[in-house]
Amino acid sequence: MTQDAKPDLFTQIVKFSPRFLLAILILPVFGGLIGVLLPAFGWAPALNHYNLSFTGFSDLWQTAGIGKMITLSIATGLVSTLLAFVITLMMLAAFFNSPWLQRIQRLLSPILVIPHAAAAIAVGFLITPSGMVSRFISPWFTGWELAPNGIFPHDSYGISIILGLTLKELPFLLLMALTVLAQPELGKKLRQQHKVALNFGYCPMTAFFKVVLPSLYPLLRLPVLAVLAYASASVEMPLILGPNTPPTLAVAIMHWFSDVDLNLRIKASAGALLQLLVTGGLLAIWIGAEKTIKYLFSDLLTNGKREYGDVIWHKITAVVTTLLIGFILLALIGLVMWSVAGFWRFPAIVPEQFILSHFQSALMQMEEPLINSAVIGLMTTVLAIVLTLLCLEAEQLSGKNLSGFISLVIYLPLLVPSIAFLFGLVWFQQLVNNQSAFINVAFTHLLFVLPYVFLSLTSSYRQLDPRFAQVAASLGAPPIKVFFKVKLPQLFAPILIAAALGLAISFGQYLPTLLAGGGRISTITTEAVTLANGASRRTSAVYAIIQMALPLIGFIIAWLLPKYFFKKARI
Amino acid sequence: MQSSLHIKNLTLYQQGQLLLKLNEQVNGGDILTIMGPSGSGKSSLLNWLTGTLGNDFSAKGEVCLNGQNINNLPAHLRHIGVLYQDALLFSHLTVAGNIAFAMPKGEKKQRKQKIEQALEQVGLAGLGERHPDNLSGGQQARVALLRMLLSDPKAILLDEPFSKLDTQLRVDTRKLVFDLIREYKLPAIMVTHDINDAEAAQGKIITLQSQDHLKGNS
Repeated sequence: MTQDAKPDLFTQIVKFSPRFLLAILILPVFGGLIGVLLPAFGWAPALNHYNLSFTGFSDLWQTAGIGKMITLSIATGLVSTLLAFVITLMMLAAFFNSPWLQRIQRLLSPILVIPHAAAAIAVGFLITPSGMVSRFISPWFTGWELAPNGIFPHDSYGISIILGLTLKELPFLLLMALTVLAQPELGKKLRQQHKVALNFGYCPMTAFFKVVLPSLYPLLRLPVLAVLAYASASVEMPLILGPNTPPTLAVAIMHWFSDVDLNLRIKASAGALLQLLVTGGLLAIWIGAEKTIKYLFSDLLTNGKREYGDVIWHKITAVVTTLLIGFILLALIGLVMWSVAGFWRFPAIVPEQFILSHFQSALMQMEEPLINSAVIGLMTTVLAIVLTLLCLEAEQLSGKNLSGFISLVIYLPLLVPSIAFLFGLVWFQQLVNNQSAFINVAFTHLLFVLPYVFLSLTSSYRQLDPRFAQVAASLGAPPIKVFFKVKLPQLFAPILIAAALGLAISFGQYLPTLLAGGGRISTITTEAVTLANGASRRTSAVYAIIQMALPLIGFIIAWLLPKYFFKKARI
Repeated sequence: MQSSLHIKNLTLYQQGQLLLKLNEQVNGGDILTIMGPSGSGKSSLLNWLTGTLGNDFSAKGEVCLNGQNINNLPAHLRHIGVLYQDALLFSHLTVAGNIAFAMPKGEKKQRKQKIEQALEQVGLAGLGERHPDNLSGGQQARVALLRMLLSDPKAILLDEPFSKLDTQLRVDTRKLVFDLIREYKLPAIMVTHDINDAEAAQGKIITLQSQDHLKGNS
């Protein structure tokens, strides 16, 4: 653009959009953190506390079992992330050049869109004493004629939480790795380098770890850290699968915040700060471990050793993968059977009757949560997509990629534990707008939907062939026309996928809905979590299935629509 | 014993259609050149030799390396070195690291010495600790060559290895590669588009016919 030509309105909006994106992500997160920080140190106007004090922290330390809470948060977060990460790497290494990698990804990708709460319910059903696992091994193996007393779920060691988190995060990490490998230039280079290593006599798995991983890991770091941050501070999984006495730190904080005794909020705010420290500490430990491993193993890369028990590791990986997929399938089948089960005696693998009455009665009460879920999801997703497209267009108009700072900020809502900033954010929201809980919920969802929509659209947008836009511009089309008539039609399919992803993320939000809505807005997910602890297993199964069905419908539409349109276009 | 690479009665099919037939023996220090338009099966031939033939393809015939049938060995046990169009140096390792990666296990000091000698031999003395991305195209090509030779291959495949170098560099690099192949007395097969490459190799030249008459590009 020449200096005298005044940019049109569209260009101005586009150029401004990255700053708007930054504001919309940074302000709520940091505002929310401040809104938690102040009460933690005793400044809470709503409670008539205006003196700087540390009573919140001393209360916190005197809470029975606080040490156990912290340990549980750290252990479940770290172990589940480590497990998911290591198994992801093993799968990548074992099946790097095999068609199995795509097949495994296809089998696991539906797990991605299943909300955490639904996944937790399914896992809980599987491992409970009368669950599918113990039905499969009874009575022929265990001799159990009646459901035994077991420790799962809600075991005090957090094993159930670890299991749930690992199963849920593994498909995400695998998808992230495969997205990196699908980048045309980098992916091709890494596959060729892997082939070079094979030519030098390296066993396939060793070749992956020595050649591919060092280049792949830097691009996986942020997703891994996001998983770690989430796992250490999540609420849904520990709420449904974790112990109660004491629960994880995040769950305890949530209970204090929502307690009728408002004075507990000071302690809760102090707890939120502690959560921030715990998560921050875990991230620091991970990064430190990463540097240590890199340092310790750098010599190993070039020592010429070509084989580290590859055959055995390959077998182990195959077994683990099979178990994992079997476990997930069994969980889903169990869930479906519970939702339609009539009478179901303990060791029987299949219910004696199949009935639809659970679905019927649940669906009757579901209208409001369903509509809320859909409306909030659509509002948020449309906003997120518009904003993302504008930002990516700004990137192309200015001719340079968004800065690393912006890329990091987009991850901000995924890296800062939501339990630590949501309460502060809600406090601000009530100051600004306490009329419409609906808008508050939608805005809060946007914080979590935006990162995913952005990540999902970025690579497609950057891969657009710039020559189409150049041709259009040389024919006299203004930027707005190029954007709407040339770029968007080419992005039809990716936009639909991003929309389906955005909807899925919004559908799955528990804590943001609960807090920003002040408990007044019920969605399928909030209902499902409430029902998971208490209501009948059959009703709970129905809600979990509806929770899974909603995002799935979105993805099926996103998959079918382009086929329909392009078929028409070809005729 | 003189080393040799023997392709016995190979017939290669792509989705059931005949792609090429070949029956050749290459002795140590000789370079067999395969020419032909794209789509004539040059790359498939190399993939078959390294044991990485795609699923669309099927092959009959045997390949023997020094008299031993390696048909059923996986890629990483064949000991066939390949030099590609791109240098494909590992950017997470230094120049010396790249070469060490390819060398057989051994005593650290000896390996280091060997790398230094080799770098000196091709005019790259002192560049061992440099990062491969900071080298010129010609330097990268030479590192890739050293890396391949020091991996102790029993045969060498050249997959249009000079096509990305400009003219003068191409002549020099080519001479270096061919000289070293003769010095190491290894059987080599080169695939190329360039008749100058073929002539410089001073070996037998086989020209494959395009099987895809519709495309018919060169």
